[in-house]
Amino acid sequence: MKFDRKFDRSVVSAYVILTPLALLMLVPLVFMFTTSVKTLGDILSLEFQWIPQRLALENFQRVVEVMPFTRYLYNTASIVAMTFLVQSVTISLAAYAFARLRFAGRDLLFFLFLVQLMIPATSIIIPNYQTIRAFGILNTRLAVGMVYFASAYGTFLMRQAFRAIPRDLEDTAKLDGCNGLRVIQHVLLPLTKPSLVAFAFVSGTFHWNNFFWPLLVTDTARARTLTVGLAMLTQATESTPEITITMAAAVMITAPLFILFILFQKPFIESFAGAGALKG
Amino acid sequence: MKVRRLIPYLYVLPAFVFLFLFTYYPAGFALFRSFFHWNTSFIQPEFAGLFNYRQLLQSRRFWQVVSNTVIYSLSFIGASTILALFLAVQINKIKRAGSFYKATFFYPTMIPMAAAAMIWMFMYLPDYGLINAYLRRYGMSSVNWLNDRNIALFSVTMVGIWKYTGYYMLLFLAGLRNVPDELMDAAMIEGANGRQRLFKIILPLISSHLFFILIIAIINALEAVDQIYIMTQGGPSNSTNLIVYFIYQQGFRFWDMGTASALTAMLIVSLLLIVSFLFATLGKKVYYEV
Repeated sequence: MKFDRKFDRSVVSAYVILTPLALLMLVPLVFMFTTSVKTLGDILSLEFQWIPQRLALENFQRVVEVMPFTRYLYNTASIVAMTFLVQSVTISLAAYAFARLRFAGRDLLFFLFLVQLMIPATSIIIPNYQTIRAFGILNTRLAVGMVYFASAYGTFLMRQAFRAIPRDLEDTAKLDGCNGLRVIQHVLLPLTKPSLVAFAFVSGTFHWNNFFWPLLVTDTARARTLTVGLAMLTQATESTPEITITMAAAVMITAPLFILFILFQKPFIESFAGAGALKG
Repeated sequence: MKVRRLIPYLYVLPAFVFLFLFTYYPAGFALFRSFFHWNTSFIQPEFAGLFNYRQLLQSRRFWQVVSNTVIYSLSFIGASTILALFLAVQINKIKRAGSFYKATFFYPTMIPMAAAAMIWMFMYLPDYGLINAYLRRYGMSSVNWLNDRNIALFSVTMVGIWKYTGYYMLLFLAGLRNVPDELMDAAMIEGANGRQRLFKIILPLISSHLFFILIIAIINALEAVDQIYIMTQGGPSNSTNLIVYFIYQQGFRFWDMGTASALTAMLIVSLLLIVSFLFATLGKKVYYEV
């Protein structure tokens, strides 16, 4: 039996504590939306207005005029897709070996994979920039995605998922003459789709939002991503009034992911919470 | 037979090639190049011994960056993890609308740091910004959030806390699933107060999550750079310059790759030392459920 009476007070206090904090948390989001539809007049009034005089939807039109938005969108989407596709191949293969095969040095290799988690990509921008330059692929979409083609997190996630699948299934497949590759493709991956989807959410979010590395290796619209384009926008137009257009651009680059997040809230949140399984 | 023994390595190979090329080789390369003069006055890199390190250790700017990074990291890690644990415990209590609160605290994870930095930069504007507008409304004087060298680091830290707390909260919530309701009920009946329940029951049961979140937070703190690039460029008077931004400045603004490499090497070694130290000390005490 539950001691609901005792809990009542603490449940009510939880709501009382959480509600104002949640509203506070939302302020930057609301600020972004409301500023994106303001006019200069609204901005320049010293009294802050949450609701603009009129909806200045022309701000969004202006964004498309001052930056090659569709090009950036295409670049970003293709980098996200390319990175995830290559990652899903590299991590599935490595995860299969770590989960199922025996070979000398396996644990050491797996340890080397895990150490990658401790070395964030932004800490090694200098040598990675040199490598990308030596390859002659500066200012390409490949340069933006390539450094992330191996994912320690993804390898770990898929290894855990593969290990949870009973071996009997594979043994049957092997008797039918399937080799490792076909076992991964026809037995393991179909059964571990939720893990791969979870990884897609995490990887996709990271690469959609990634900023510093794409900033360094791109210098024209050819390979620039949306986040880099956003930063360029404020550098091109330094006067304060342009904040309406910058916020309109911020809404536009955030919207695709944000809409996905609202539609698929539960799987999104669970995918990120899944990172909590990564311990020990 | 021999060929068959090689097959497992072929599976690992594609991932390993990229892992080596873009993590281990660059870490080693940075260490190697840190012993070279490699800047605009040298056509070819030239061996310099410990010159780059000596130069850095003697520069006030370097120590200021170290101090900024330590202050940023400690306040970011402390505030975001404590707040995240607090939110998780509260959300765990409620039965309705839990997913609304979860989404509300978590959504900043979905916003690119570049966009978040823009939003906060405009909220911080001295004259037209949201925050000062409210300060003025309640009769307080305006604050120069990003241009006052005593405040700018704090202002930048707030962005990090806002962006990451919801994510850590989510990880704590996953941990709190390990705390059985019955145990909390029993503790309440026995008269354990809130603090006892937190320190004697909740924290020990989620210690492996806590440990993991701490390590993620340390990495998130040390890799922070997007918001610095967008909001302050390390200023005013170097007061918000954090280690990764400093590496970027040395490498891409002053084209001093030798110094930038020395900084990179120091950052990676510190990261690995901190994490190994934590594993060796706290990691052993952590309670792992089977």
